[in-house]
Amino acid sequence: MTVKFVIHNRADNVGVAIDDIREGEEAAGVYIENRESGPVVKALNDVPLGHKIALTDIKMGSKVIKYGRTIGAATRDIRAGEHVHVHNIKSLRWGGSK
Amino acid sequence: MSGIKVKAYVRPDGSLGVRNYVAVIPVDDLSNTAAVGVSRLIRGAVAIPHPYGRLQFGKDLDLLFHVLSGTGANPNVYGAIVIGIEDNWANKVADGIARTGKPVYAFPVEGNGDLRTIELASRKAKELVQEASEQQRTEVDLTGFNFSIKCGESDTTSGLASNPATGYAVDELVDLGNTVMFGETSELTGAEDIVAEKIRDPLLREKFWRIYREYTGVIEGQGVDLLGSQPTEGNIKGGLSTIEEKALGNIQKLGTKPVSCVLDYLDELPKGGGKLCFVNTSSAAAEAVTLFAAKGSILHLFTTGQGNVVGHPLIPVIKISANPKTVKAMGEHIDVDVSDLLQLKADLREAGERIFQHAIKTINGRLTAAEVLQHDEFSPIKLYISA
Repeated sequence: MTVKFVIHNRADNVGVAIDDIREGEEAAGVYIENRESGPVVKALNDVPLGHKIALTDIKMGSKVIKYGRTIGAATRDIRAGEHVHVHNIKSLRWGGSK
Repeated sequence: MSGIKVKAYVRPDGSLGVRNYVAVIPVDDLSNTAAVGVSRLIRGAVAIPHPYGRLQFGKDLDLLFHVLSGTGANPNVYGAIVIGIEDNWANKVADGIARTGKPVYAFPVEGNGDLRTIELASRKAKELVQEASEQQRTEVDLTGFNFSIKCGESDTTSGLASNPATGYAVDELVDLGNTVMFGETSELTGAEDIVAEKIRDPLLREKFWRIYREYTGVIEGQGVDLLGSQPTEGNIKGGLSTIEEKALGNIQKLGTKPVSCVLDYLDELPKGGGKLCFVNTSSAAAEAVTLFAAKGSILHLFTTGQGNVVGHPLIPVIKISANPKTVKAMGEHIDVDVSDLLQLKADLREAGERIFQHAIKTINGRLTAAEVLQHDEFSPIKLYISA
């Protein structure tokens, strides 16, 4: 299976597409630190190169983790395989009130 | 890691340059026409017009003088012509440049008019260009140079590949005894604690926190929503969703060395190499590169995801991208392609070494894409309104 996304840190709940991922595709991930195989998820949407894909279900209000750190919170329930972006997560710093 | 030789211009104060310009520096917006006039008459005289310099005051005025004098004093400059509407401020900028021991001449427009000013300044510029043409690059060790780094139009490929690869090159440069400056104060938001932890000296760390809080305080004090500005439209298109995500990607380019100097706007870069220096800057590409160059950076490593095209009139700006779409769509702007690192076909060391070797070629005289495409952005930071 072609590697379609990478994961910065083992604590992360999102991966980053290194190629365009198509809706319905079974996409495989690797951990960037040692290039070991990571999870395989079925993409629920198109996820363009550079965009994030959820590795697990993320409940509304829960933290989105990348680089092993919080990069924001889910503004609605996100399912594994979903495109994760400004439509479903928000900063906890600037613009966090919106 | 020693004994890497490069060819550079050794200036009278011992500083090391990689280009050999005669700069024509207007002190104010009114003098741009005369400065550009000189550059049209004299081959090799580089005018750096900008919109400021009238009725500024206090720290904002001090910063303008710091940037203009610092730009003329940059080691990539052989000598300079300064033109101002009044002679007092023109002389002040010229005096700041003269401290480096390089030739500098100041001219007022008042009492002369543009045409006589252009004639007088052009006669001096001609002499300087001919003198500059006699300067030779000499072989020196790759140590004691000042560099700077910044990313722009970042996307997730920056944090994944181009920034960590640049961090590898930064580690190499610092290990060799060179100084590397970074900034982008507000864009550290979400990773500011990681930067603070890299600062070992408690007083410097406190200084960093004060600078960071002042800067973000100004932004937050406007009572506006920064969404739409941070992350930028380009950042979001490239997959960055929040400022925290952007910052965590941003700091990947700092490498692994401790931060051993913290500079506010007006602070001079300390002598002695081997330092990783935080500089208080805006995150706007041209403003940051302009301030780094004014503090003495002779070459800038610039990573981009979606394709920022910034350059500088006097220092080479090397563009590094890991986004294969950007490399394909706007390849004429990209100097170093590290998309194979993103696609897991190269490792970090290979990609970092590629950037390092390209920096050496550029030091030795190879022109960057931004230089050839005439990206000559010069943007002094303005702190507040004019009187």
